[in-house]
Formats: sequence, structure tokens, C-alpha cells
Amino acid sequence: MRRAAIIGAAIVALSAAGFAVFAQSESDEASVDGLSFLGEPVTTADIAAGQTLYAENCASCHGAKLEGQPDWRRRLDNGHMPAPPHDETGHTWHHSDRNLFIVTKKGIGAVVPGYESDMPVFEGLLTDDEIADVLSYIKSTWPDRERTFQAEVSANEGDK
Amino acid sequence: MTNRTLNFEPDRRHFLALGMGAAAVLVLPGAVRAAGGAANIRTLAFDGDTLLIAGATLRASPDGGRSWHERPTLSPVSSIATHPARPGRLLAGLARGGVTVSDDGGTTWTARSEGLASGEVTALAVAAGNPDMLYAAIRGDGLWKSEDAGATWALAMDRPWLDAAERDPLTLASVDLETGMGGIWIYAGTEKGLTRVPDCFCRWQEVQPGNAMDALVTGDAPPAEAPLPTDEPVLSLASAPSAPSTLYAALPSGVWASQDGGVVWTQKAKGQGRAVAVHPRDENHVAALLDGTLNLSRDGGATWAALAVA
Repeated sequence: MRRAAIIGAAIVALSAAGFAVFAQSESDEASVDGLSFLGEPVTTADIAAGQTLYAENCASCHGAKLEGQPDWRRRLDNGHMPAPPHDETGHTWHHSDRNLFIVTKKGIGAVVPGYESDMPVFEGLLTDDEIADVLSYIKSTWPDRERTFQAEVSANEGDK
Repeated sequence: MTNRTLNFEPDRRHFLALGMGAAAVLVLPGAVRAAGGAANIRTLAFDGDTLLIAGATLRASPDGGRSWHERPTLSPVSSIATHPARPGRLLAGLARGGVTVSDDGGTTWTARSEGLASGEVTALAVAAGNPDMLYAAIRGDGLWKSEDAGATWALAMDRPWLDAAERDPLTLASVDLETGMGGIWIYAGTEKGLTRVPDCFCRWQEVQPGNAMDALVTGDAPPAEAPLPTDEPVLSLASAPSAPSTLYAALPSGVWASQDGGVVWTQKAKGQGRAVAVHPRDENHVAALLDGTLNLSRDGGATWAALAVA
């Protein structure tokens, strides 16, 4: 009797755990309402992965809170511009998904030939999916106004 | 300065030269004498049909240059701007620093410089799509913007970096052509040529054909380009509100025009160009300061007529 009770309790516990895992998986795969990148829906798992990648690869220049480098509108001594904020105080939300992806992967020179910048080229450092995750995370932090504006810019440029 | 100039003593030859000069002033035609009246002009603008010329003084002509009326200014004006949607509103950047605004065609002025850096306002522009959005370039400092018609100012961006140094914008023009970033362009003339920045202020960049990047990707032949001379400063720029792709520029080599937003330029007049302005409703109606003389063209710069400035 006692053994049967233990087995029953274990089954309940495992079922609960399984449900929790399933629920977590469902949650991770859930699309974030109103957020996409290059036409693909963005999930909470994408954003979480992007947040981690951002902390590891971007935050040292663009700031842990996406605040950018101090006095970012003033040129550095080397003539380059400091890393701008990625939050709503910067200009990132003026650029289409495609533009942001190309700049991150290939460098600013890929969209403005000859432009010199301290930002590295992330091709070879991050996969395309990882770059998309980072940019999805950044987009997820924007207020509605900036997110809507950027969605229109992306649509106008032909991003899906 | 040499001792000779310090101890100038007129001799017979100098007396002859002075006498001939005085006689010449009496007999020179009006158009040439106009050069004297135009000598201190630094900037031009149209306020509707009224042509404005400014520098040490500010004068306005409502009748195509037949008559001129002097307006008060607080100090020498280094740049002046107007907007078709705000007739009678003049914005003046001052050589001693600061911006002043007039809402009555220049009769009265109010200082609007809160938050603006000190220093000469080398260039001033009104956003083509928003008459309350102003841009001012401050010598040795950067590009500033005001979203409330000059009541408050904030730094928008540092100066453009050209040929290994920051360069002062000598002239600004808000050009109503889409950047692809949800806004339009701000063009700047500098001592090292033409540059532009989107009004999101992400980065200064060269003027390129709109499809240049597509051609790069597909391997097609790059679009045709005919830039302004690279060895001259761009002293003045004007974008036609009635046809934003039409730009005019004044350079030491003359007046130049572009019909495609600054990709292909053609020379419209030779001489020492100093300032240029275009009528708000007619992209072929252009005023230019050339060789110290004020000139007007009604055909996009194909022909010019000198204006007398009283």
C-alpha cells in the first residue's frame, strides 16, 4: 500500500515536472506579440538568447543597459564616433532590420562605403541566427512608438 | 606690414590713379556699381517672393531687386533661413553667436539661443518637412537642432570628418529626399566638399546614387556620378522646395546645379560664387552672389541678370 502510494506520488510529481517543462517550452516558443525580425516572428527564447549574446559581445561598448558610450555624439580622438545607445535615445530604431543585420555582420562600411568605425565585423564571430537574436533582443526593449516606427522603416525597405 | 605702406606718400602717379578711379566710379554702369552694394553680402534667402540679402546688414527686396529695404539686425548675420510654410519668419545665425528669429519679415527680432553652444553660427537650416525644426552649425563645435523653432537647442552631432579632420559646415540644406531611415537628408558644404547626414544623425556620409548599393551587390555598372570639384569649399547650398532633387551650390569656381539630389552636378555660372538661394515655388528662380555681384536667373541658371543693390 505504502509502495503504491509512493509510485503514485512519483507519477504525479513527474507529470507535474513534465508539464512544467512542456509549459516552459511552450513559453519559449511563444511569439512575442508585435515583434519580428526580417519577417520572422521573434520568440521569448530568441530574446533570452539575444540578451546573453548582447552581454557577451556588445555591452562593453554599447552599454549593459544599451545606453551607449558617454558623450556619444562627440567624436573620439581617432576621428571615429563612439558607440551609440541602442535604446530609444539613440538612432538604431531608425534603421531597418536588413540595415541593422548587414551593419552587424559586415560592418558599417558595408552600407556606407569608406566609413571608418571602431565596431568590429561580427561575421565569423556570431552566426546569422545569433545576430538576429541580438537584434531581436534590442528591438524588444524599445517602447511602442520606436518599435512601430522601425517596423515601418523595415517594411518600406522591403524587409518581410 | 612694411615700412613703405606705413609711410605712404602720394606722388604724381598716385594722384593720377586716384583721379582715374574717381572718374570710373561716376561712369560705371549700375550693374557694376551693384557690386559695391553687394560686397558685404554673405548669405541669401527667399521669403516667398521677397529676396533677402544679409551680412553686415540685412536688406529685403519684394520686387525682384528693383527696390531694397533695410531691416534691423542684432549683429552681422552669417546665415539666414526661411521656410515656405512660415511666410514672414526669418531665422538668422549671427557671426558673434546665437540665433534670432523674426516673425514679421525682419522688422523685429527675438533671440532664440537657449542651450545653444557659443560661437559663430556658420550655417542655419529649417527642416523641409517641419518648419519648427531648426539646425545650426557652430564653428569649432558641431551640429545643433531645435525642435521648437529655436526656443531650446540640443547637440545633434559632431562635425563631419573629412580628409582626416573635423570640418565646419559652411552651409546647410534640409533636402526633402528620403533616406530610407524614416527621414530625410541634411546636406552640408564644407571646406573639403559636400557631405550629408540623415536626420536621425547616425553618420555623415558622401552623396551616393540611391541605387549604388544595389549595383554593388548585383555587380552591375555603378550609376553615373559627376561630383562637385573636390578641391574647393562648398560655400552655399540651396534645395528647391518645389523640386527637392534640384540643388544649387556656390563655390569659388561658380554656381553649380544638380537635378538628382547631388549625384551629378553641372556648372551654371563661372566666377567667385559666394551664396545661392532658390525661390520656394519655382526651382528655376535662383539668386546668386557671383564675383561680388548679386545675380538672378529665371531659367535654372542658364542665363543670369545682375541686380543693383542700393
